[in-house]
Amino acid sequence: MVLSVAVVLAYVVLLTFVAVRARAAREFEEFSLAKRALPLALVFGSLAATYVGPAFSIGFVGRGFNSGLLFLGIGLAYSIQNILVGLFVAPRLRHLKGCHTLGDAIGQKYDQKCQVLAGIISVGLCAGFAAVMAKAGGGVLRDVFGLPLWSSVFIVVAVTALYTTFGGLRASVITDAFQFSSFAILLPITLLFVLAFHLKGGAATFTSQASAATTNGLSVTSPIEIIGLLAAFLLGETLIPPYANRALASKTTRVSRNGFILAGLFSVFWFMVMIALGITARSIIPADTGEDFVLLNMVKSTVPAGGYALLLVVLVSVVMSSLDSLLNAGAVAFTQDILKPFVKLPDTSALNVGRAATIVIALVAAAGAVAVPSIIGGLLICYTIWAPAILPTLIIGLWIKRPHPLAGILSMGVGTVVAITLWIILWLIFKFVYPANVEIPPLIIIPALGAALLAYALGHWIQRSKSGV
Amino acid sequence: MKSLIIILVIIGALIVIASGVWVAITLITGNRHEK
Repeated sequence: MVLSVAVVLAYVVLLTFVAVRARAAREFEEFSLAKRALPLALVFGSLAATYVGPAFSIGFVGRGFNSGLLFLGIGLAYSIQNILVGLFVAPRLRHLKGCHTLGDAIGQKYDQKCQVLAGIISVGLCAGFAAVMAKAGGGVLRDVFGLPLWSSVFIVVAVTALYTTFGGLRASVITDAFQFSSFAILLPITLLFVLAFHLKGGAATFTSQASAATTNGLSVTSPIEIIGLLAAFLLGETLIPPYANRALASKTTRVSRNGFILAGLFSVFWFMVMIALGITARSIIPADTGEDFVLLNMVKSTVPAGGYALLLVVLVSVVMSSLDSLLNAGAVAFTQDILKPFVKLPDTSALNVGRAATIVIALVAAAGAVAVPSIIGGLLICYTIWAPAILPTLIIGLWIKRPHPLAGILSMGVGTVVAITLWIILWLIFKFVYPANVEIPPLIIIPALGAALLAYALGHWIQRSKSGV
Repeated sequence: MKSLIIILVIIGALIVIASGVWVAITLITGNRHEK
């Protein structure tokens, strides 16, 4: 216990030192885009650290434990998405002049109303994603310090908000890269340690466990759920605000493209390690262990106390590196997309508003953390809203010459409303009418995306008929 | 400082890649033994 507390505190002090060395942002351009000077290694490290949150670590180990290689296949959809974004979208986004956010890009391609709507969706989603991270981080700290959940959540959010508020994107990216190296080194070592000293039967046991888990996963997941999950992982996290900010902040369009491609390729190996940890856990911990506790319980029962303390450091870094990116992206979206279209802000005021917004979003995330169902469950809800709300407007807008603002507004509005309405209806149905333990978000994403695309086509057609263009 | 962090990022990425490759090889060779 004392060792765990000491190691976690030492890590937080070291991280603060790294954040302080990254220095405070002095202008809004630095706060939001790190002056568009990020090199490839930092874009890649920061992207990887942002997507490897609790879902892609704790969550994937839990899914590997229950469903074996099934979730490796589903995770590959995410890897493909990153590579496709790197090849086709990120360079186009980086190529736009004077863009601080995704909303800015949408504003340039459509009009200011579309920018404000994209800004509102971005801020809402960043707060939602941040609430999931806050809950996961609070859970880890509760385990270390034995504090109530609310105070653990508050500590994680407060430390992260502190360096993000002062340092902006630059501090976020540099601490992300540092945190990436800590979990990228320690989690594979944990896997090797458990495989070498605690898995009896070696490769043959590992393979038979993988086969048994995968069979179990395929038997409890319906084909429609698998298709929905593939769609959610393929589209749900595509260019969410923190990723878009990294694409925009890259040194060149080439760095932007290569950063996403490398991050996508890296995720394949990352998922393999996480799923392998989950499969290995099957012969070590009880079969009825809850999904979010597989990694913690396995490490607790196999690794010596020092190793467990290091794992807690890993988990804290996994959470904080995603949380800081979300807080910064939400704050920049609020300032640039929601406030600036209505109020003329001098640079210093914009910087101060960005800082204040970071704190407000952090507080909202901490308060919302209690409502998050489970880590992957919470993220899937955010994915389900993000993809239909933004992707058709953004991607079509980047590709066609004269996108119509009405199409953008209709697509974003209809996508958001359909996703939320379907979620509420299905939740009520599976809760009261046909009680069943069904993962709702994967069932929603495709119909909501279809509705958003239809709305886009309708808006495009109406405005084209009116203007005759 | 920046160079040190970049070196750490590269080391971390290489460790994960090596572990992923090792997992893939274990699965493939384990399957062969089972057959």
